[in-house]
Amino acid sequence: MNMTARFSPLDRSALLADLRSQVAGLEHAGSRPGREDAVPLCPSLDQALPAGGLARAALHEVLAVGELGGPALGFIALALARSGGTVLWIAPEPEAWPPGLLRFGLGPERLLLVRATRQADALWAMEEALRCRAISAALLFSPGINLTAGRRLMLAAEAGGALGILLRTDSAAPGPAVALTRWRIAPLPALEPDRPRWQVELLRSRGGAGGQWSLCWREDDGALEDEALAPAPSRRSRVG
Amino acid sequence: MRRRVCRPPRLTAPAPEALPPPTLPPSGDTVGRRFLALHLPLLPVEATGRAEAPTLVWRAEGSARRVVAVEPRAAALGVAVGQSLADAQAIAPAVRPRPEDGGAEAARLEALGLWALRFTPLVALDPPDGLLLDITGVEPLFGGEVALRDRVLRGLARLGHAAQAAIAGGTLLASAIARCGGTVVPPGQDAVAVAGLPLPAMRLPVPVLVGLRRLGLERAGDVLRQPRAPLARRFGAPLVLLLDRMLGEAATPFRSLRPPPEFQVVREMMEPLITRGGIDAALSRMLPALCVQLGDAGRGVLRLVLRAHRGDGTVQEAMLGLGLPSRDPAHLHRLLESRLEALEPRFGFERLDLLAERTEPLAALQSGMVAGATPAADAAALAQLIDRLGQRLPVWRLAPRASHWPERAAMKVDPFASIDTPQGWAARPRPLRLLRQPEQIEVIAVLPDAPPRRIHWRGNWVNIRAAEGPERFEPEWWRDRPDRPVRDYYRVECADGTRLWVCRAGLPEASPRWFLHGVFA
Repeated sequence: MNMTARFSPLDRSALLADLRSQVAGLEHAGSRPGREDAVPLCPSLDQALPAGGLARAALHEVLAVGELGGPALGFIALALARSGGTVLWIAPEPEAWPPGLLRFGLGPERLLLVRATRQADALWAMEEALRCRAISAALLFSPGINLTAGRRLMLAAEAGGALGILLRTDSAAPGPAVALTRWRIAPLPALEPDRPRWQVELLRSRGGAGGQWSLCWREDDGALEDEALAPAPSRRSRVG
Repeated sequence: MRRRVCRPPRLTAPAPEALPPPTLPPSGDTVGRRFLALHLPLLPVEATGRAEAPTLVWRAEGSARRVVAVEPRAAALGVAVGQSLADAQAIAPAVRPRPEDGGAEAARLEALGLWALRFTPLVALDPPDGLLLDITGVEPLFGGEVALRDRVLRGLARLGHAAQAAIAGGTLLASAIARCGGTVVPPGQDAVAVAGLPLPAMRLPVPVLVGLRRLGLERAGDVLRQPRAPLARRFGAPLVLLLDRMLGEAATPFRSLRPPPEFQVVREMMEPLITRGGIDAALSRMLPALCVQLGDAGRGVLRLVLRAHRGDGTVQEAMLGLGLPSRDPAHLHRLLESRLEALEPRFGFERLDLLAERTEPLAALQSGMVAGATPAADAAALAQLIDRLGQRLPVWRLAPRASHWPERAAMKVDPFASIDTPQGWAARPRPLRLLRQPEQIEVIAVLPDAPPRRIHWRGNWVNIRAAEGPERFEPEWWRDRPDRPVRDYYRVECADGTRLWVCRAGLPEASPRWFLHGVFA
């Protein structure tokens, strides 16, 4: 093998790094040549993710807390908008509303909606979408999919290079995960009007550590802000 | 006889006194066109299924039951068309009577029309019992007009249909001659043939026919010899128009059963195709051939039809509509796959036609370019994806619309439509998700027109931390029904931080109803 030629056996760290890169190349998880890097969300989240953001060519799972799941939709809308291209929205009843999505940067010209009432149809549509190189991200509303279907979607995403997001409501036992990451998004009471706050939990991340953040969506500059890092003059001013 | 050179040249030949119009050459659109008319006299019998015993078909005309079609075996027993049913049964008790089934006849006629598409792409129905084939230019493929006619008649006989055929330069003339027994009118001899037609063959309205008979006119030539103006005054313009159409001086509409394909590939099978695998194999050879034709012409198909002819003369069609033109055999095959399941080969398909009914110019993609690098390749990939998804599921886009009413702010459009967002659209905070069916809620507020403090929703009370509003939406009177109430929308935040869009439908003093309409991030 060429690695013994390139590195001396004593240089363990270099050897390990090389092996890791080879394995990552085999798995393609989150990396696809010819495509720009991961989808950035917010500096502190991106640091926690091994790909430096939501990895493309991979599947991500989002658990929405609450019956309507507004914060999870906001989080996803941001990821879809920042993926940069055409976005497919697959749901039993797609209730996406462009006036709201536009404020997250997702224009109606980039949004395609698909109604799939049967799960088999929805999975098929998701797989076709992820395999298509003209799609930058696809969202599937699903009550939970089994490992085989998840693996198929993962392979499709790796082949096509799109960002795949599965959205489901949070449950006590979310079950095994095939996705690269799993998030749980819950609402938090806002401190200022029109500054929604979300509790974002990274439950699972392949090749990375989990974490928990409380984030604030600042619509005027289109940025997600980590409250732990941000100065909190707003809180004081509100108290005063 | 000396020729007069000073007269202006005549556009038409001078009409001799004895035989006025026959030497007129046909003019107008019908010049040079040739039509094959088929008349199926026994269609009422044949459409109701095979008969073991001699059969007749009757129709109720008022209180009388009249015989409309008679099998040859029954005719040999003395039954004839036009007798009353009682007479016919008295003459030949062995003959089985059947009531007429107009629906079955029409269906069978249409099936035969589709069957006849194998001879020419332009076939029209001539109800109740005729077909018209525009055979202009196709007869050399079959070895001449007579050979073509014989082939059509043989095919019909194999399907169990007795038929009479005529070929002429006009549809009405051909159809009339077919009803009289059928012959081939040589090109240019239409006028002579018209003159010889008996009047009943022209399918005139009964009062007109009776009136002409009363004048002692028996043939179309007799009528043509009459002065036009009194004829029109007495029997109406339709008679004159009919004569003109017969002579080819006025255009006759020809309503083709199917639009003529722009490109087609046909495959006749030696053995009938019964299995799906066989159909797939045939398609995998036909599709590339069609795509080569399309490629040579620089076009892509928008509407593809697979027409499968079954051995019993019925035809099944699978239609495929594409959003953007394509000539990629693999893509077309994948799209057709879902449609093939609907085909019922039963005894097997003996012929498959693959037709590109609508095409559009499609520039060739330069081969050898890096995949994914060109926007054109990406657009093609997206179009193929939408086509595939659209075969199975509803796919659409939402286009902004100049309306402040929430349900109308975005409308469903075709996934291939281009969308532009007007300036200032969605300038105010709006929910990400608009419920298709707003949920009715109960609300407690301090004052009737104050923002909500608590809402009762899905079975429990929720405290409201903060509310902003109202934002009043007046109904669009130019579109709406007049009694639609005004809406006051509030953006509210529940105690746990869930942000909702609730609205009060109706003015606060008029016992309004409250709805949950949307969800914010």
